[in-house]
Amino acid sequence: MKEILKTGMTLMIFTLVAGLALGLIFKVTEQPIKNAELQNILNAIEFVLTDNGKLMVEKSLINEKINETINDTEKEIFKTDKAAVLSPVLEFKLDGKTIYVLKAYGIGYGGKVVTVASFIIQNGRIDLHAIKVIEYSQETPGLGAKIAEEKSQQRFYPIPYEGLKNGVKVDKDAGKSNLEPEEAKKIGVVKISDVMTGATITPRAVANSIQAMFKYLRTEVVKDVQ
Amino acid sequence: MSSRSWKEFSKGFVLENPTFVQALGMCPTLATTTNAKNGFGMGLAATAVLVMSNVVISLIRKTVPEKIRIPIFITIIASFVTIVDLLMHAYVYDLWKTLGLFIPLIVVNCIIMGRAEAFASKNNVWHSFLDGLGMGLGFTASLTLLGSIRELLGNGTLFDITIWGKAFNVFIMILPPGAYLTLGLLAALFAFIGMKRKERGNNK
Repeated sequence: MKEILKTGMTLMIFTLVAGLALGLIFKVTEQPIKNAELQNILNAIEFVLTDNGKLMVEKSLINEKINETINDTEKEIFKTDKAAVLSPVLEFKLDGKTIYVLKAYGIGYGGKVVTVASFIIQNGRIDLHAIKVIEYSQETPGLGAKIAEEKSQQRFYPIPYEGLKNGVKVDKDAGKSNLEPEEAKKIGVVKISDVMTGATITPRAVANSIQAMFKYLRTEVVKDVQ
Repeated sequence: MSSRSWKEFSKGFVLENPTFVQALGMCPTLATTTNAKNGFGMGLAATAVLVMSNVVISLIRKTVPEKIRIPIFITIIASFVTIVDLLMHAYVYDLWKTLGLFIPLIVVNCIIMGRAEAFASKNNVWHSFLDGLGMGLGFTASLTLLGSIRELLGNGTLFDITIWGKAFNVFIMILPPGAYLTLGLLAALFAFIGMKRKERGNNK
């Protein structure tokens, strides 16, 4: 009995000390972790709101919107069979147009591939302005992870309303690998097979995400477009 | 540094290399070495945990009852891993994201438990520190070597710097089979070096 108590006490002391140390480190890193997460998403949001090297929306307004929605994140607010739109939805009303920044994920080779995108609503049209893929850590380096490269992501935007209505597809799925990248975008095709040879699953996840975000806007948010 | 200290420090590099000779910690070795940078980052994270856990375990080795040493070692190791995970999440966000699940999995990396049980629980703090550092750096070097070979052959780059671009890329090298192939060949090389050393020793 005495022996059991003694070993029990020893174990308890060790776990107590370990627990205290962990609690301390957790407290110290809590804020920096929040900041790092926020910075990552903020960078993506600012990127998709940039037009010709200039932010289309005031920085202070972006921060305000983010603070408003800070407690409402990562909820699946709209689902298609291949992708889902996540909260929050950021809405920026400017003169004559409204910009939506949305986040969605599709399933890639190893897990979720998360994309942030901006759509501009103007004159009864919804156009895809820009995207930024923010989560692709489970994709194969050298193959799917090439989605991280600027030149891969540029193939996904801008896509005009007509292209979005067609349904966004990668060139292999659309059978249109012969098109030039800019020509392809007009009909909603993402020409990617030349910059990401051998990888179709990851870009397909991004294309599906864009499609889900567009569908969400058209069915749930702006119903007055043709 | 005395010759004993030097021996404890240097044995992890070739003679008792944790990856190629002892074949410990294979899971992160195979999974994270798709490029040089990931291998290096994973190695350093494991080294940090290994050094800290070796030192603490050596410090408490006389107060821990034999019967419950394993749960206590695991508690210590798991705490250090969580600390490293939190610190990386806060201060090296990009690397933390790339390594993902493999940081928490350092807890079950056999190198760390292995060194705790085989070395730190029997030796003084200074030698345990050197053992942890040497083994950790040996592990880091192995992972970086493995990652470099796979990245170079599979992607034509090294630490993200283009060496020969797309001219000579073998996709399989960055996929799981490439890890086994490279690991097997390197293990053979280390076995060969070990054999040669022994022969030289016998001839003397």
